[in-house]
Amino acid sequence: MNMLSQLNSAPVYLICGGIVAFVALVCVIFMVRAWRAGRAIGMDPAKMKRVITFSATFTVLPAVGILLGVIALSGALGTPWPWLRLSVIGALHYETQVAQAAAEQVGMKTLSAAEMTPQGFATIALLMSLCILWGMVLSVFFNKSYLKKLGGKKKEPGKGPGFGDTAMTAMFIGLVSAYLGSYLGGFASGNGMFAFAGDWKPLLVAAVSALVMAGFTWLSEKKNMAWLEGFSVAGSMLIGMLAAVIA
Amino acid sequence: MREEQIERYQKGTHRLGRIVSVITLILLVGAPFAIGGVLGAYPDLSAVAKGFLSVGLVWTVSSVVEFLVYTPMLGAGGGYLAFITGNLINMKIPCAVNARDIAGTETGTPENEIISTLSIATSSLVTILVLALGVLLLVPLQPVLQSETLQPAFANVVPALFGAMAYKYYRKNLKLALAPLLLMSVLFILVPSLTGSTSFMIIPAGGLTILLAWLAWKKGRKAAA
Repeated sequence: MNMLSQLNSAPVYLICGGIVAFVALVCVIFMVRAWRAGRAIGMDPAKMKRVITFSATFTVLPAVGILLGVIALSGALGTPWPWLRLSVIGALHYETQVAQAAAEQVGMKTLSAAEMTPQGFATIALLMSLCILWGMVLSVFFNKSYLKKLGGKKKEPGKGPGFGDTAMTAMFIGLVSAYLGSYLGGFASGNGMFAFAGDWKPLLVAAVSALVMAGFTWLSEKKNMAWLEGFSVAGSMLIGMLAAVIA
Repeated sequence: MREEQIERYQKGTHRLGRIVSVITLILLVGAPFAIGGVLGAYPDLSAVAKGFLSVGLVWTVSSVVEFLVYTPMLGAGGGYLAFITGNLINMKIPCAVNARDIAGTETGTPENEIISTLSIATSSLVTILVLALGVLLLVPLQPVLQSETLQPAFANVVPALFGAMAYKYYRKNLKLALAPLLLMSVLFILVPSLTGSTSFMIIPAGGLTILLAWLAWKKGRKAAA
């Protein structure tokens, strides 16, 4: 049996699939608890349903993008391991980078099935796990105390809205700005400083997606089509991505 | 009564979150050894240590920053789940932030905690489902997903996401967004190699925007007093 067949064998699928199934069960438990708690404190079930619908539609397209990551890595690491990594804990931008770096540590020139050995795979897999689990470790030890500390400062009555929401929105604006700036930089200087010959597609896609989002917002706010809100991000993304195909 | 229910829910969330996080940690670290057992060879621990020193430390710092920044956004339940299921920047954070806007809840409230948990749990389940279906249908789907025609679309999922998000957040905070957008654009134009470290550039961009927002908020409170 060659290396790739071993990595795609039933026992490996069983190990990875078992962990994915466990995490799916955890998600269901958290979801049911949150729903029940929401009902118990008098939250509107229609609002909670809208959040669930939005989150589901929002996720489909990025999830297909992640599936491509699974396919990309499956040529070197087999299918079950990338499937596990990208279903649980992993991140698309992280996995390829760390897998490549880990491959170099075990003496491989490139991350490929041709050079892969059983020990090489086990080493790469362990390194991929160890490098990214710190968010979970920190959550175990500090989530409760950190949130308690942040929530400890009670809002003074009559002092207006607190800074918490503004800070979250500001952080998100910073995040979006960093990505948009990188697309602009990639286009302007990606192929030589100020050559304006770099990759322009991310800029075009972002612009089209933003325009379509503007259209959805107009329909939902001015034309009483509030139901569109739940699909606006997914719809904008889809049309933005289509622009990349047509261009 | 309501306070009691909220306290009981939050206590239970932390207990459950810690237990499942520890189990997931054990499973994820144990899996390479279990697969190694199937393949007949175990990880080379000295290579793992060397690899960790060369690439792992950077990701450890990144994990600490992610924990500090995203936990307040996600709350307890959402936080535990998001760090278990991953794909934070490109999926879970935008999803939870938008869900908060749709539900009109305020950060730090029990309602927001519940909305965030519902959002992250749904998003994680849909991702698991799409990937499981994709893996199941890998052979028939591969030609479609890897077709030359569709490659530009899938290569631009993240720009499509942040384009839509930019409109949504910039339109109500145009003045606030101007400075980080300008700064990041100039930085990336002058140092194009930074594009490989975009996820790290979120820290200065976010820090600057929070500082500007804080100054504006402080000014607003002074004027209102």
